[in-house]
Amino acid sequence: MAITVSPGTFDFVSFDAAYIERIAGIVAGQLGVTDIDFSVEIDETSALNRISTDASVTPVRIMVHSGAFEDKRRPRQQSEIDTTVSLARCMLRARDRLRGGFASAPTDTELTLAQAAAWDTYIMARLSRIDIPVNKQAWHYNWRNRHGFNDHSDAAFERMWQAESLDWDQLSSASDAARSVSA
Amino acid sequence: MANASKARAPFAPWDRREIAGAFSVEETARRAGHYKWTEMKLFEALGGWIATVPELDVKMRLGTHCYKHAWHAELWHKRLPELREMNPDRLTLPANDAMVRFIDAMTEPESPDQTIEKLVGVYRVLIPRFIAAYTYHMNNTSEITDMPTIRTIKFILQDEFDDLRDGEMLLQSLIDSPEEAERAAAHQARLEKIMVEAGGITGPGSIGFN
Amino acid sequence: MRKFMPADELARDERFSQTTQRDRMADARTTVVLNGDQNRRSNNRLTPERNDASEAARALMHGIFVGEIQALEGAGRTCWDFTTGEEAPFALKLDMARQAWDEARHVEISCKLGDWMGAEIGQYVENTVLFEAACSNDPVLRLAGVNRALEGLAIDVFTTMKEFGEIAGDPYLEFCEDWMLADEVTHVKMGSDWLRKVTENDPERRKKALEFQNIVDKMFSYGGSRSESDESSLGIARRFRELAGFTDSEVDYVAEVSMQALNERKAQIAERQAAAAANK
Ligand SMILES: [Fe+2]
Ligand SMILES: [Fe+2]
Repeated sequence: MAITVSPGTFDFVSFDAAYIERIAGIVAGQLGVTDIDFSVEIDETSALNRISTDASVTPVRIMVHSGAFEDKRRPRQQSEIDTTVSLARCMLRARDRLRGGFASAPTDTELTLAQAAAWDTYIMARLSRIDIPVNKQAWHYNWRNRHGFNDHSDAAFERMWQAESLDWDQLSSASDAARSVSA
Repeated sequence: MANASKARAPFAPWDRREIAGAFSVEETARRAGHYKWTEMKLFEALGGWIATVPELDVKMRLGTHCYKHAWHAELWHKRLPELREMNPDRLTLPANDAMVRFIDAMTEPESPDQTIEKLVGVYRVLIPRFIAAYTYHMNNTSEITDMPTIRTIKFILQDEFDDLRDGEMLLQSLIDSPEEAERAAAHQARLEKIMVEAGGITGPGSIGFN
Repeated sequence: MRKFMPADELARDERFSQTTQRDRMADARTTVVLNGDQNRRSNNRLTPERNDASEAARALMHGIFVGEIQALEGAGRTCWDFTTGEEAPFALKLDMARQAWDEARHVEISCKLGDWMGAEIGQYVENTVLFEAACSNDPVLRLAGVNRALEGLAIDVFTTMKEFGEIAGDPYLEFCEDWMLADEVTHVKMGSDWLRKVTENDPERRKKALEFQNIVDKMFSYGGSRSESDESSLGIARRFRELAGFTDSEVDYVAEVSMQALNERKAQIAERQAAAAANK
């Protein structure tokens, strides 16, 4: 397995590339993706909390705006937890795409907001079960924003949160069905 | 109701209010002025302390209580002209010098680790004195001539009891060691001594004893 | 207890961490999505259409929460810092005490909304700029800074959030913001009325107060986070501002300085980013 982190040094934030690489290695081990090569690319000029993954190339590209690794309590400093969670989200999405039945899913930038929220729910729930700190309520809120604030949507969220093994067709149709009531 | 024009007593059988009262108009105005002065000092202190207490629940309670005491001061401010004091500021006074010293001592704690002292001064010394003085006034003034004061006091007392309970429960939740219990008691005793000297919110006679 | 309290002494529990406006402006990273971004998000206005809508709304909610704490503290301090009569009329202080209660409720509401949105207390850094900028030692300037500039900003924020709740279909958010907005309009109106009354016979003092308000308004434009451009996450709530007693020209002024602040911030970021690129 190879993990590369770029840039190697940072001007806009106090991040540590070697530390990011170490965390990425640990997360890859936890998620069983040590056979996949990753390139972690950080846009340190953006403070936004944004991540995306391109699993169609080798190494798999993990693209991160610096806000996604940042300690929100100490601006410009790196947070171990945020780095872990953001990398885990990307790696699990890549794993889903490469061997989890998500080969037919649109690229990250082409996912609808609801599809992205549904997939994130599926991802974050699984991360919470391997003891990565996840605030379930935050992801529930994200789900509700995309699927509606109603009991039907809440029940669908709960099913998605408990799901262990879904493929793209199952996930996207669950998302569509959840939206059908509020739409 | 057989006959609408049948004569009825002006006071119904269940209406046992008495005309007699312990206070003249002038004495009532004097007391109202002391109430107003002290309620003002209290709301100002509570307002000032909000920024100095780190405990979030206490911070929000102080903000809430600050307004209630400001409203009490306003009620007395409006009552004064009805008691022939057309310049309410003239009677907006402390009962005596000891009361000024009491307020100075009560508002002295400032640092963020003195929440206990701040709350003790208000909820274990001053507000119990308010409850006492208001209760004495309400129970001794004329139930007919001075009904407006009674009505005002009833509103205020409701707040005082609610706030006393809030403050006391905050204190019970903050005091969790023998040392803190000592601290609270020592501060209470220090303030209580000055309050004894002052004789209560309206000075000696606040609750009838001189 | 002293009169006048510096912003760096505002008491907080262990969950909170604080930053100043100076630190914040020293951060050369952009929060603005520039053209050419692969994203579908074409602007920065906080609406549910944004990819990061829930995260951004949650962060703003936390900002509102700490802002309400500072507003609560500011209103409370006005009750304490100024002598009744000589420095501040009795009725003005009553209004400030009322505002303290309102702000205490706003803190309560923000806590509940934070829970609802999945935020944790202290999760984000607290910028003490509101207290710092608004709490002048002159009661008239404080009215201008707190009740017109700060509360005006609150109107803009709550309007944005209320619309967010409406569009997202979040009944809880919309309900709460609607109520808070009513209070903030009242607070601005208090400020507008008192400013007029207190400086009735002192045009020089009124001028000074309005100048101070302008300075604070510019600071509160937060390097462009509030303006009528879609590049800012917050808009300017013209209708509610007018309801609160701002004149058209005053709202125009806020719009203008906000746009300036946005443009200055963009230029500053572009410059620093170009310098960093040249160093690579
Ligand atoms: Fe507020
Ligand atoms: Fe307000």
